[in-house]
Amino acid sequence: MTLTLQAVGYRYAGADQPSLLEIDLELRDGEVVGVAGASEAGKTTLCLVASGLAPRTVGGRIRGTILLDGENVDAWPMHRLSGRIAMGFQNPSTQLSQVTGTVFEEVAFGPMNFGLPHDDVVARTWQALHTLRIDDLAERNPQRLSGGQQQLVAMAGLLALRPSHLVLDEPTAQLDPAGTRLVADAIAALAADGASILVAEQKTDLLAEVAIRMVVLAEGRVVLQGPAADVLDDARLIELGVSAPSAVRLRRAAEAAGIDPERLRD
Amino acid sequence: MIELRAEGLIHVYRTGAVRALDGVDLVIGAGERVALIGQNGSGKTTLVRHLNGLLRPTEGRVLIDGTDARELTVGQLASRVGLVFQDPDRQIFAGSVRAEVEFGPRNLGRSGNDLRSAVADALTATGLAGEEATNPYDLGQSRRKLLALASVLAMRTPVLVLDEPTTGQDARGIERVQGVVEAAAGEGRTVIAISHDMRFVAETFERVIVMRAGRIILDAPPAEAFAASSWETLRSTYLEPTLAAEVGDRLGLGSTPTDASLIEALRAG
Amino acid sequence: MAGRERLTNPPLMNRGVPKIVGRPGPTAYHRLNPLTKATLATITAVAAVVLGGLVGPVVLVLVAVIGPATVAGVLLRLIRTALLLSLPIAISAFLVNLFFFPGGEQVLLRIGPITATAEGLAFALEILARIVAISGAVTLFYLTTPPADLVVDLERRGVSPRIGFVANASVQTVPAMVERAMQITAAQRARGLDTEGSLWRRVRGIVPIVGPVILGSIAEVEERTMALEARGFARPGRRTLLWSPPDSVFQSALRWGLLVALLALIVARVTGVWA
Repeated sequence: MTLTLQAVGYRYAGADQPSLLEIDLELRDGEVVGVAGASEAGKTTLCLVASGLAPRTVGGRIRGTILLDGENVDAWPMHRLSGRIAMGFQNPSTQLSQVTGTVFEEVAFGPMNFGLPHDDVVARTWQALHTLRIDDLAERNPQRLSGGQQQLVAMAGLLALRPSHLVLDEPTAQLDPAGTRLVADAIAALAADGASILVAEQKTDLLAEVAIRMVVLAEGRVVLQGPAADVLDDARLIELGVSAPSAVRLRRAAEAAGIDPERLRD
Repeated sequence: MIELRAEGLIHVYRTGAVRALDGVDLVIGAGERVALIGQNGSGKTTLVRHLNGLLRPTEGRVLIDGTDARELTVGQLASRVGLVFQDPDRQIFAGSVRAEVEFGPRNLGRSGNDLRSAVADALTATGLAGEEATNPYDLGQSRRKLLALASVLAMRTPVLVLDEPTTGQDARGIERVQGVVEAAAGEGRTVIAISHDMRFVAETFERVIVMRAGRIILDAPPAEAFAASSWETLRSTYLEPTLAAEVGDRLGLGSTPTDASLIEALRAG
Repeated sequence: MAGRERLTNPPLMNRGVPKIVGRPGPTAYHRLNPLTKATLATITAVAAVVLGGLVGPVVLVLVAVIGPATVAGVLLRLIRTALLLSLPIAISAFLVNLFFFPGGEQVLLRIGPITATAEGLAFALEILARIVAISGAVTLFYLTTPPADLVVDLERRGVSPRIGFVANASVQTVPAMVERAMQITAAQRARGLDTEGSLWRRVRGIVPIVGPVILGSIAEVEERTMALEARGFARPGRRTLLWSPPDSVFQSALRWGLLVALLALIVARVTGVWA
């Protein structure tokens, strides 16, 4: 299954400049595609557009075409799209519905909205909890979890929808190293399970670990793209406001000092 | 320039039974650059909120240059210890960048040229010069965070405390924060930062304090805090050493917490 | 909805809804249908106002608040919560009526230019009784009914989930707003905002606190709305319910009976049949 963006642009209502221009992007089954770029380069807008939330819930005008398995989704309402494409936000607490007393009900919230048969809802919910290894949180109150746990519960809630595509906007921004590790493992597990994931992140160490391909945005345009390893190794990253992953920085520092980077490998 | 001291600090939140701080003893000298690291919930934020009187100890005491913090008013404390919170949206209220940055120094009684230069310096340091008339909500999240930093920087307090200053910042933003820390330290101010970013910690600070469950479990310079002998302690609270530290250890070069120190060691070896 | 099916894992199909979801309450009163408890609370509060006087509301408090609260084992918590909830308004209403009741003649106490009269005292006690009945009824409901239970029950009865959601979310929003306001106050105090000085200083301090509370809440609501839409909340048609609180013919009859009794009382009062 493929999500395709063709020459997509976006201008928010009331803005005099478009926030996104001429984006061509393909998201295929089982692939993790990383999105990097300086602050305000258009990462969040790309996530909102790719998930269909812009313009459906955010005021603005979209250009270009978005295709799901070749079908134009222009006229689809959000609830139709949300069964296929799910989106996660930076802030774990705003993603919880705030109306559920247990993690189980929180994760079941999406499938319940779709009116699926009771047993199907229950099975999907357990499955999602299990995939993220948080079965033991099922009976806990979601409001009383740590930020990292809340972020995982939010992801499980998306997963229970069984979307073919998942869009994540800086899912680890608020998390400590332990929480970041949990989310990274979850992304890898989901992709291994066949979902395609678009993940915007400042933490390039995380992208280096999970992404297969990458795009780098600047002023709303794609300025670099290709296999993740190549993009993360590109010398232009610095001027684009993106930190290179630790390993790349270290190797560059060695080269700059006239030391053979091979020596870093012992 | 002032010295901060915590003695037998214990804090129990009214809503919880656990000790958020479980006996913290600490002395931070004037002009030190200190990083506080540890898992969420380990007590870092609780600790720094005692330094400017926002929280009062359940037991023990905090001394600001020898004076018990309990004897100082909020205003007196604010003029000594500037604290930048993690979430800028929980403080920004003014209609313009200038008014937002003026708020703190005005509260401390600054006015005229003194106020103008404090504001101008803070905006320059955070890369917001030229945005004086901008509405803070027209700035993106990461620049709003720099604005919150500027608004405390302009108070010119002898102690500057930063709670997670680099989250959501891109490479340039992190460099700006590093610049602010170094400039403040250069003026003899004390800088204390809570951070999850180990590379930022290793490169920017001269002392690393690791907290776990309300206690300090390690207090050492980066070279020692990220040395192989400390990894077990770090990992006990789910922290990882920097890549440079790992590579340095693998190559038998001793403790090399930063890229620069690793390169240095490679050269020497 | 079409979608990926690879995640199905047969052994997990057997695990049902965790027992804690929709778990019956600890006492018979807790186990009443949420709508029954909501009806009882509403009728107690309205009847206290309609009845007026002192005896009516006091009997109501005994029968419809203290009694059930004892059965439910929440009497102490109820007294504490209801007091916290109503104390400021109760005290001010009591004092105002005690001292400023117009036309009172039997003077009980004189403090400078103001006097407390027996008529004022009687009226103040009546007001107090109503306030106690209302706050007691509301608190009893709150202490024995998880809000989500009422929402589920209303949804089962065909009320749009959006209405229940908005009601529930607004209940949950209050603690979140208080928490936010406390964090913002801390941040502004750290910038030298004096919230303890003169009245003027405190009034001036409101803008830097209320501003971010409102702006931040709006931003959060926007993001939460998007997150909900992304999970199909706006989809038309019935949602699946994981469970629903049990109801009975007896409870249904009780609710209708109480409602009719209340209407009769109102009619009697309005027409003057019963004063």
